[in-house]
Amino acid sequence: MHFAIPKWAAPLLGASLVTLALGAFAADPIKIGVSGPYTGGSSPMGLSMRDGVRLAAEEINKAGGVLGRQIQLVERDDEAKNERGVQIAQELINKEQVVADVGFINTGVALASQRFYQEAKIPVINNVATGSLITKQFLPPEFADNYVFRTSANDTIQSGMIVEEAVVKRKFTKVAILADSTNYGQLGREDLEKALAAKGIKPVAVEKFNIKDTDMTSQLLKAKAAGAQIILTYGIGPELAQIANGMAKLGWKVPMVGSWTLSMANFIDNAGANSEGARMPQTFIQEPNTPKRKAFIDAYMKAYHPANGRIPSPVSAAQGYDSMYLLAAAIKQAGSTEGPKVRAALENLNQKVEGVVTNYNKPYSHDNHEAISAGIPVMGEVKGGHVVYAYEEDRKNPFHTK
Amino acid sequence: MDILLQLLMSGVALGMIYAVIAFGYQSTFATSGTLNFGQGEALMLGAMVGLSLSGDILGGPFVNYWLMVPLVLLFGALQGAVVEFVGVRPAIKTKSEFGWIMSTIALGIIFRNTAENLWGRDDLPFPSPLPTEPIHIFGANVLPMELMVVVGAILMMVLVEMFNRRSIYGKAVVATSSDRDAAGLMGINTGLVITFSYALSSMSAAFAGVLIAPITLTGASMGAVLGLKAFAVAIIGGLTSGLGVIVGGILLGVAETTTGFYLSTGYKDVPGLVLLLLVLAVKPSGLFGKTTIKKV
Repeated sequence: MHFAIPKWAAPLLGASLVTLALGAFAADPIKIGVSGPYTGGSSPMGLSMRDGVRLAAEEINKAGGVLGRQIQLVERDDEAKNERGVQIAQELINKEQVVADVGFINTGVALASQRFYQEAKIPVINNVATGSLITKQFLPPEFADNYVFRTSANDTIQSGMIVEEAVVKRKFTKVAILADSTNYGQLGREDLEKALAAKGIKPVAVEKFNIKDTDMTSQLLKAKAAGAQIILTYGIGPELAQIANGMAKLGWKVPMVGSWTLSMANFIDNAGANSEGARMPQTFIQEPNTPKRKAFIDAYMKAYHPANGRIPSPVSAAQGYDSMYLLAAAIKQAGSTEGPKVRAALENLNQKVEGVVTNYNKPYSHDNHEAISAGIPVMGEVKGGHVVYAYEEDRKNPFHTK
Repeated sequence: MDILLQLLMSGVALGMIYAVIAFGYQSTFATSGTLNFGQGEALMLGAMVGLSLSGDILGGPFVNYWLMVPLVLLFGALQGAVVEFVGVRPAIKTKSEFGWIMSTIALGIIFRNTAENLWGRDDLPFPSPLPTEPIHIFGANVLPMELMVVVGAILMMVLVEMFNRRSIYGKAVVATSSDRDAAGLMGINTGLVITFSYALSSMSAAFAGVLIAPITLTGASMGAVLGLKAFAVAIIGGLTSGLGVIVGGILLGVAETTTGFYLSTGYKDVPGLVLLLLVLAVKPSGLFGKTTIKKV
């Protein structure tokens, strides 16, 4: 082999190597970075995202690759740590010389790391991180071109949907917000408060909790004493479960609506029956209601055999899968792997891309780097330990096209 | 009134969790003047071993919850003995003032990393052996499992106290705590007593782990925050007083829940730490601690 793979990286390269070994060495493979947390509290999202990306890359390679070259994934674990993300970005750019990067689960990691891709003129597709700021870090006039794209529903869209569900559809006027003390929770809380203000509502209680808090009594009692009829959440799985369990303990049951993390397996499993009825915006629900979705779910089951037939984070898997296809289409259209050309192609995709989340028809433009707009995500609901469609009409009408 | 009662009850339940862990700090401090800073990890290991035995993560359940508890206690005792043998004994032998601090912290990190590799880094649900429906007491709600934490904690401390007062082995422990050199001259194997105190300390932490796991999150990182809070409780209550840790635990627990409600949930950890600073400034040996004079 004319390029050396460090010993420790070998298992990370995964399935793509197999196809690589089988394929001819006529052309160098196209290297694409895949970065996300594969260990730690966010790992259900990171691993599902990676598996989705792997599935797509495998399919693309089987069909002959892109520009006659095979795709080779370079996977790195950022451990959800900002400093690790920065190291990885530098490694992927300078040592591995990737053509593009897909990934990022944690808003903080994305904000810290993508500067390096921007400077190196290498496109990045954020396929899970939701912070509103992510695609707005490098805007003109300061930066002529923005190299950061996204295939997930940002927090502005999500908080809008959460408020729509709570205030408009279910007509609650007294809402309480419970958000964790991380960047994710507090930026989300701001978005929620803005969305509520737009409807002329001021939350009756705004409470904070820390990662690893085991007792939510005071937060919940404050919400209860303020007469809250519904709880809006911004946090991650384990602590959200403590909120649901805390409500059951206090014998106080009000609906819970929150950001998409309420679909995480570690929320549903830790809260058990108390997670029933929680609602959250979802770009994808594990239900085979389009042929593409059926094919995707079947392929995922066959390749990874998730426990209980449930993808740990279906949203991450679907967005990861779609991000790879969008990238491949752009490289094909650019006819080159040069960053600026791939970016230009992404901003003006002529080919329609059939995705799992939606069908992408010109998903990006020079000034809009969000593939998911309001109207594409749907409301999901926890039912019997699974996330299902909250509204029957969304299930029946899955073809949201941008 | 209902709200205050609920806050007090939840605070007491939370405080008793801290107290059980803090109790472990005491038992080693009494005999050897050293502390196991891996106490939080001992708690985590107890909970994870318990979950492996009575949960379904390793293909179980192999035994039910009540049978699992003695097995976990045994595991905890062994783990504590290992910590003492590897980390503390060399430091005591060389009369190193700080060696044991570094080595118990290092061992704690090793245990945590091992657990992460064995059981993963996600938080897992721990099946509750008691009903999860809350019980109503004077208008406040309490989980049966929270009551069990309180009862279990008190029971454990009473048993240890009885052991110390009534049995000949316990008397050896007490003798070693009062004066290690004199005890050694009287023919007490003080090295063994110290090993025993570490075994007891980790055993109580492992017991705390399986007691609280059904009401908290169970995972490789569960011990970090709890171990630290329990340390604060041990300092507030005094490192030499059994009653002290209970009072200290309840004080900290109630301070957290009431501040969270009456002040702000963003500041709920502050009053407990202010209390810690106050105690250190006014009565450094703790609220119930005996002042020891170090004769040089």
